[in-house]
Amino acid sequence: MGFQDFMDAILGRSRLPKAKSDKLFAISTASITLQANLGLKPSGSAGICFKPIGASAYESARKEIQELLEYSSKETETEFRLEKDEYNFLWAIFKDPDFEDLVANIHLVSQTLEEHGFGEQILCAIYRFESEPEAGTTAGTTAGAAGREGKNSGRKSVYWIYNFKQGTYYPFIPLSDRQRDSPFEFRLRTEMEREMPIEKNVEKWYPLWGIPF
Amino acid sequence: MKRKWERDLGLQGRMLFTMFLLAVVYLFFLAFLSYYGAPPIFMLLFIGLFMGIQYFYSDKMVLWTTGAHVVSESEAPQLHGMITRLCAIADLPKPQVAIVRTQVPNAFATGRSPNKAVVAVTTGILDKLSPAELEAVLAHELSHVKNRDMAVLTIASFISTVAFYFVRYSLYFGNMGGDRRRDGGGILLVWLVSIAVWVVSYLLIRALSRYREFAADRGSAIITGQPSDLASALMKISGLMDRVPSEDLRKVEGMNAFFIIPAISGSSIMDIFSTHPSVEKRIAKLEKMQQEMS
Repeated sequence: MGFQDFMDAILGRSRLPKAKSDKLFAISTASITLQANLGLKPSGSAGICFKPIGASAYESARKEIQELLEYSSKETETEFRLEKDEYNFLWAIFKDPDFEDLVANIHLVSQTLEEHGFGEQILCAIYRFESEPEAGTTAGTTAGAAGREGKNSGRKSVYWIYNFKQGTYYPFIPLSDRQRDSPFEFRLRTEMEREMPIEKNVEKWYPLWGIPF
Repeated sequence: MKRKWERDLGLQGRMLFTMFLLAVVYLFFLAFLSYYGAPPIFMLLFIGLFMGIQYFYSDKMVLWTTGAHVVSESEAPQLHGMITRLCAIADLPKPQVAIVRTQVPNAFATGRSPNKAVVAVTTGILDKLSPAELEAVLAHELSHVKNRDMAVLTIASFISTVAFYFVRYSLYFGNMGGDRRRDGGGILLVWLVSIAVWVVSYLLIRALSRYREFAADRGSAIITGQPSDLASALMKISGLMDRVPSEDLRKVEGMNAFFIIPAISGSSIMDIFSTHPSVEKRIAKLEKMQQEMS
């Protein structure tokens, strides 16, 4: 606990950490390693989630993001949509086979939010990857998983979540019934530690159930 | 964009001043004790141990005394999801989540540090509040965790507790102390000073506790970005919502200003004894924040 934190505790000051978006781009180079070494393919979907604050300021920010994205997505040919989830958080969700364009669009939204003073209210940015059917599993278990889940045919969604408070990434692999594939997540950490900034404090690997993409 | 509503220098100043007064009272008390040769070291050790236990096991003790039971992700997915998101926004490790089965709407947080925290809600509050209001209440509790209020208040009340034990047991300790030179008058003086220290520090701790409540309200507003959500939650919890038509009653009370001696309502005196500020005051502060936001 640093001196600043100590004084904040003594005085009961609440301060939300500023958004750190400088490490956001680390996923670009990491995605190549993820695909080559671990068989994790970018799924072409990504999103950024934030908590709307104050009615009027929020509406204008939403409008500006909408207009901005309509303009920028024409250039990169990215599909996007804005949607509210069950917790009243707003998502900007992108679809683009070009991974670099996804990263650029996410960055654009985070910049815009920060300019409007909503940087503290950004929850996270998320990139979805897909494990290839044979990756990490033997043929037998793959068949079993395919039999159980049918449509997924053994493919697993692997999410990389960017924490704006810390400026770090962490893996999130949801299984059924709010379980997560922790062994795989920890393996990803050891494999990727040198490639990208990974959140050291495992307690901050916040799960996000029901990611809308 | 600078958001000026996020700061309340007046509140911080009052909090510091209260802590300063508390330290003065405590230092005076310790100086007094050592001057009079009472056995302060023994007492400090004994009560230090006692409070240490309370400090380290408070989370379990509170859960046990309130009958709260910790719930898992799959037992209360909505509640867990809400708390996870608030923690991610506030950059806090996720606390344990507990539920108390009672219709009384309430919520509390305990634990000495953010890593050991427990946030508990009653089934009554889950039924009564809308999701946005519940979120505001949870953010209030998480602010208590973030501000380490449990630790601050335990430490603040340490010597006050010493004084309290002196008041209760000083006669035994007087006999036991073995210092026969000042028996009688000396013991009585120690007793009186202990009472004074205890009363003054008690009031100061209560004041500090109220300031911490205001600070947590403010923290909730900052995390959720909607002070009005907490305000309406407080109204619902306190039952003020049910008394909405009492407005013209308050207008009558406003007439007090025209009297030479205002009829002081009992609540203003009781205020200094309570750990929580009055709901009206808290709502007024939240409304002010809401206005400053836009």
